[in-house]
Amino acid sequence: MSRCGAELAVDRVCKRFGGLKVFDEVSFTIAPGEVLGVIGPNGAGKTTLINVICGKLTPTSGRILLGGRNVTGAPFHALSRAGLVRSFQQTNTFGGASVGENISRAIRFSGGRRASSDGISHMIEKFELASRLDERSDKLPYGLQKMLGLILTYATRPKVLLLDEPAAGLERRERTRIDDFVRHAQRELGCSVLIVEHDMDLIRRLCPSVLVLDAGRVLASGPPAEVLSRKDVLDAYVGAIDEEAA
Amino acid sequence: MDGFIATGLIGISLGAQYALLALGFTLIFGILGVINFAHGGFYVLGGYLAYAAGHYLGISYPLAVLAATFGTAALGYLFELLVLERVVDDQLTTLMLTLGLYLMMSTGILVVFGPQAPDFKFPVSGVLRGGGLYMPIENLIVLGVCLAAIVFVYLLVYRSGLGRALRALAEDRQVAAAQGLRPKLLFPLAFALATGLAGLTGALVTPVLSLAPYLGDPALATSFLIVILGGLGSVGGATAAAFIVGMVEAYSAVYLGGSKGALALFVLVLIMLVVRPSGLFGRESRGA
Repeated sequence: MSRCGAELAVDRVCKRFGGLKVFDEVSFTIAPGEVLGVIGPNGAGKTTLINVICGKLTPTSGRILLGGRNVTGAPFHALSRAGLVRSFQQTNTFGGASVGENISRAIRFSGGRRASSDGISHMIEKFELASRLDERSDKLPYGLQKMLGLILTYATRPKVLLLDEPAAGLERRERTRIDDFVRHAQRELGCSVLIVEHDMDLIRRLCPSVLVLDAGRVLASGPPAEVLSRKDVLDAYVGAIDEEAA
Repeated sequence: MDGFIATGLIGISLGAQYALLALGFTLIFGILGVINFAHGGFYVLGGYLAYAAGHYLGISYPLAVLAATFGTAALGYLFELLVLERVVDDQLTTLMLTLGLYLMMSTGILVVFGPQAPDFKFPVSGVLRGGGLYMPIENLIVLGVCLAAIVFVYLLVYRSGLGRALRALAEDRQVAAAQGLRPKLLFPLAFALATGLAGLTGALVTPVLSLAPYLGDPALATSFLIVILGGLGSVGGATAAAFIVGMVEAYSAVYLGGSKGALALFVLVLIMLVVRPSGLFGRESRGA
C-alpha cells in the first residue's frame, strides 16, 4: 500500500479567547513519518493547540500548512477528510455501535481514503479486538475503547495524526500498545504524528523530538534527552508531571 | 367478532398514518436534538399544498401529493439551513424558533386560504366488503402508501449510506465530524426528510379526515404522545407506539365512546411516564 504521510507546518500560530492569550507564536514542522511530542503542565494550551490545528478552533493569527497547502481556518470535518485526523482525550468511538460497525463507518466516512484491511486487521488482532467485533463499543473495557478509537483514526488513512493524551486512563501495562499503534501507523502509512502526553516514558520511547509548552509559549524544543534535562524545564514541569503520571 | 376485527383494521390504518407523522418528529429529535414545534404546521401545510395544487393548478391528486411532499421538504431544508443551523445546539432557542415558525405557518395559511375548511376530497371513494368486513377504499389506499413510505424511511435510515451517516451524527456528532462527516450538509437534509414526511402525511390524510388551519395542534399533540410512548428519538419505538395509539384510539372510540379515545391515550402516556419514563424503546441519550 502506498504511504500517504504529509508534512504538517504550524507557522507562528496564536490563539486568544477575548483578552485571554492561550498561546502565542507557536511554530514547528513535522515531516512525513516523524513523531513530535508536545508536553507541558495542565493549562499550558496543548489541547487548544490540537483543536486549532484540526480546525475545531480558528487561530487568531498564524498559518497551518498541510503538505504545503494553507489549511488555516478550514472546518474540522474538511480537514479530517483532507487527512488531518485527531483522537480525543476521552474515547472517540460510536458507543452504541458495534466494534465492526465503528470500523466500517470510519472507512466509509473518510471519503474513499482507506487504510488496507491487512493493516486494520493486524491491529484488531494485536489489541485483542478480533473476538469482540460484534460487541457494542461502549461495553468494552476502557483500555480497549481507547485502542479502538486509535484504530478508527488509522482506518481513515491519515496523512497527519494528532493524538491527544492517548495513554490517559490506560493502565501502565497497556501503554505499550500506544507504541505499537504509532509505530504501525508510521510504518504502514508514513504519516506525521503529533502526540500530546503526560507520560514521559512514552514520550521518550516514541518521540525523537519534543516541544514544551508553558503558559502559552514554547519554552523549549529538541530531542527529549536534551530538553528533559534542562533545568528550566525540570524546574517548571517534569518533576511535577512525572509524579502525577506515576 | 366482525366488528372487533373491522375496528382493528381501522386501528392499523390510523397507526400507519400516525407512524408516518411521528417518524419525522422523532428523526429530528434523534439526529438534531431539536423538538420541532412546527411539525404539525408542516402536516397542515402538506394538506393545503396538495389542495392548492389540485384546485388552482389542476394537477392530479398523486402529483399534488408529490408536490406537497417536496414543497414541505424544501421549506424544511431552507428553514434548517438558514435559521436553525446557527443555533442548533441551543434547545431553548430552537424550541422558540420552531414554535415561531408554526405560528407563522398557521397564520399564513389562515390569511391565504381563510378559516373555512376547503372542499378537499379524496379522489377515490367506495367501500370494500368481504367476509363480513368492510373498509373504505380511500383508507386502504392511504394505508398502502403510508406503509410503503414507512418501509422507504426504514430502508433509508438503516440500509443507505445517508442513513448510516445520519445515525452516526445522532449518536456522536463530534466523532462523526472527526471522521469527515459534515453536519451542516446533513442536518438540513435530515430536517427536509422529516418535514417532507409530515407534508406527505398531511397530503394523504387530510382529504380523508379534514383540512383546516388549526389542525397542526392535534397533529403535534399526537406526535408528542407517540414519541413519548415509543421513546424520544427512537425510530422503531415511534413506529410501534403509533400502531398502539391507532389501536387504542380505534377500540376506545368504538367500545368506550368517541370522546374517551383521547382520555385513554393520555392515561396510557401517564402510566408509561410513571412506569418507564424513557418510553418503550427509548434510551437515556439521543440516537435514531
